[in-house]
Amino acid sequence: MARSDYEYPGYDRTGVGYWSKTTLLYAAVTAGALWMTLPFWWTLTTSLSATPTASAVSFIPAAPTLENFVTLWERPDIPLVRWFINTVIFAGAVTTFNLIFDSLAGYSLAKINFWGRDKLFLGFISTMMIPAMVTLIPVYLILTQLGWINTYQGLIAPLVANPLGIFLLRQHFKSLPSALGDAAKIDGCNEFQTFYKIYLPLAKPALATLGIFTFMGAWNNFQWPLIIANDTNMYTLPVALFAVRNQYFAEWGLMMAAALIIVAPVIVAFLAAQNYFIRGMSLSGMKG
Amino acid sequence: MATESQRSVTDAITRVRHALTKLKRSVGITEDQNNLMGAAFVAPNIIVFSAFLLGPVLYAFYISFQEWSILAGSGQWVGLTNYVTVLQPLPVSIENGGLSWNPEVFTDPATSLWWYSLKNTFVYAIGTVPLQIFGGLAVALMLDKRVRFKKTYRAAYFMPVMLSGAASAVMWRWFLAGDGVINGLLPTFLEHNWAGDPGTALGGVMLMAIWGGIGSNMIFFLAGLQNIPEELYEAARIDGASRWHRFRHVTWPNLGNTNFFVFVMAIISAFQVFGIALVFSEGGPVYSTTTSVLLIYQRAFEEGAFGEGAAMAFVLFLIIFTFSYYQYRYRDQAEVDY
Repeated sequence: MARSDYEYPGYDRTGVGYWSKTTLLYAAVTAGALWMTLPFWWTLTTSLSATPTASAVSFIPAAPTLENFVTLWERPDIPLVRWFINTVIFAGAVTTFNLIFDSLAGYSLAKINFWGRDKLFLGFISTMMIPAMVTLIPVYLILTQLGWINTYQGLIAPLVANPLGIFLLRQHFKSLPSALGDAAKIDGCNEFQTFYKIYLPLAKPALATLGIFTFMGAWNNFQWPLIIANDTNMYTLPVALFAVRNQYFAEWGLMMAAALIIVAPVIVAFLAAQNYFIRGMSLSGMKG
Repeated sequence: MATESQRSVTDAITRVRHALTKLKRSVGITEDQNNLMGAAFVAPNIIVFSAFLLGPVLYAFYISFQEWSILAGSGQWVGLTNYVTVLQPLPVSIENGGLSWNPEVFTDPATSLWWYSLKNTFVYAIGTVPLQIFGGLAVALMLDKRVRFKKTYRAAYFMPVMLSGAASAVMWRWFLAGDGVINGLLPTFLEHNWAGDPGTALGGVMLMAIWGGIGSNMIFFLAGLQNIPEELYEAARIDGASRWHRFRHVTWPNLGNTNFFVFVMAIISAFQVFGIALVFSEGGPVYSTTTSVLLIYQRAFEEGAFGEGAAMAFVLFLIIFTFSYYQYRYRDQAEVDY
């Protein structure tokens, strides 16, 4: 990358100026990185202390113990497994439906020539402008009428399609050559077969990116489950954390253990697929 | 042999066909279009968006003119009452023929919770958006260079992005509590119950939001930086441009799209902040972290005042819309200049 000076011949890499600049750069980057990661460390150390106090958990717990995790596991009023399963079902279903619906729409908006297509696309995109709070109240009332409060379908249905996903997949399908579809049609494929057999496999990178981010978004979604799930058995993990928070706010070790249980799956997935995550993040935001 | 009646039927069909072709042509449908397939592919999304986005927006507008009784589970038409309740008292009043500014609606939650929550939301937005954006840009510029362990650094900055708002609010609440980690690091005379003091609680929420927001902006800026052609830097260098000039005249203008995108997203999400404030402190102490959306949530879902909640949501919608509209306008002009 030639935009930094030291790529150029004749750049002095020995002087005091160079060393002080480099040191400053590393100091700044490291300080920021510590600010970003220390909270995770504190969460871990707090969750490993039986009775956390400020001085005891700052960096290394004096007497590490798994007591908090055991308590979480054993308490009858904390159905942790149920909450975990709820979250998996919720995030899994939302992701699956999003991949299906967004790819159908993205494909048709990119590759099928139909009347009003571009206006429709604009319409989809402008729905992103609607703040969630405006629709939350009426959707809640509609689902109350349907009897869908505290049900999986109530949790999942409003989130099955997402304009941002449609946008991302449309851009990706657009970037694939139309000649492929024409060839498939000459060979006797109908529109759906062309989509399913030719284009969809080529969109795997975009689908994977969208899948990761939809899953992560649903896993961490707080607002919607908070409103639709008010029975303990229907809580997802973030809502459960909020619900138990009043009772146990004094028991910081327990709270941090619970927070860690929510975060851990995502962090593990991130560390395993780090490059993909970061590339996907920039892809989803910047295309177009 | 065609009978009279058969002939009239064929005529009728031909006429209908002609009319249809004419109609198609007049709305712009051409021969090569595949309307049926297109409709079939987008139908699921149209259903979902109508049922859960557009229909509800209209329904919300209707609800905002109603007073809800939670027991009956239905509303009663009350006209503009909800809007009057929400907006009264106004921040400006007409006294002695002139306009007079009424600042206590923003400083005293007892006078008006709505205006007070709006002030909290603006303070939050003004405090977080620039730091999230310029923090993200600064980190991206540093990590775009040849730095050792670049990937590890990027991962570190990205970690908070993956965190659930609820989990991070619980974490930060503990760090900022009276017996929490931050106080453990500070010298005794600086110790303070950061989360429990109305003067600092919103600051705590903002600190957490900045922490969580820098990473995603960093990624957007890194992507934007990589799209800037090297030749521009070469040319600037040949012209003798200093480091600052290269940033000012090459990097910054070429990040135009990224800047716009990041800024719009940050503003919109700042105005919708709710979950972290709710989990962090439930709007307290003394309403110091009650943001507008949090107030809407409490009025509608905790107290059953759906009509009032919907009215507040529409006022907030108008504010966000005005902001976004002017950002688009400004962007159009900026592009002409550039």
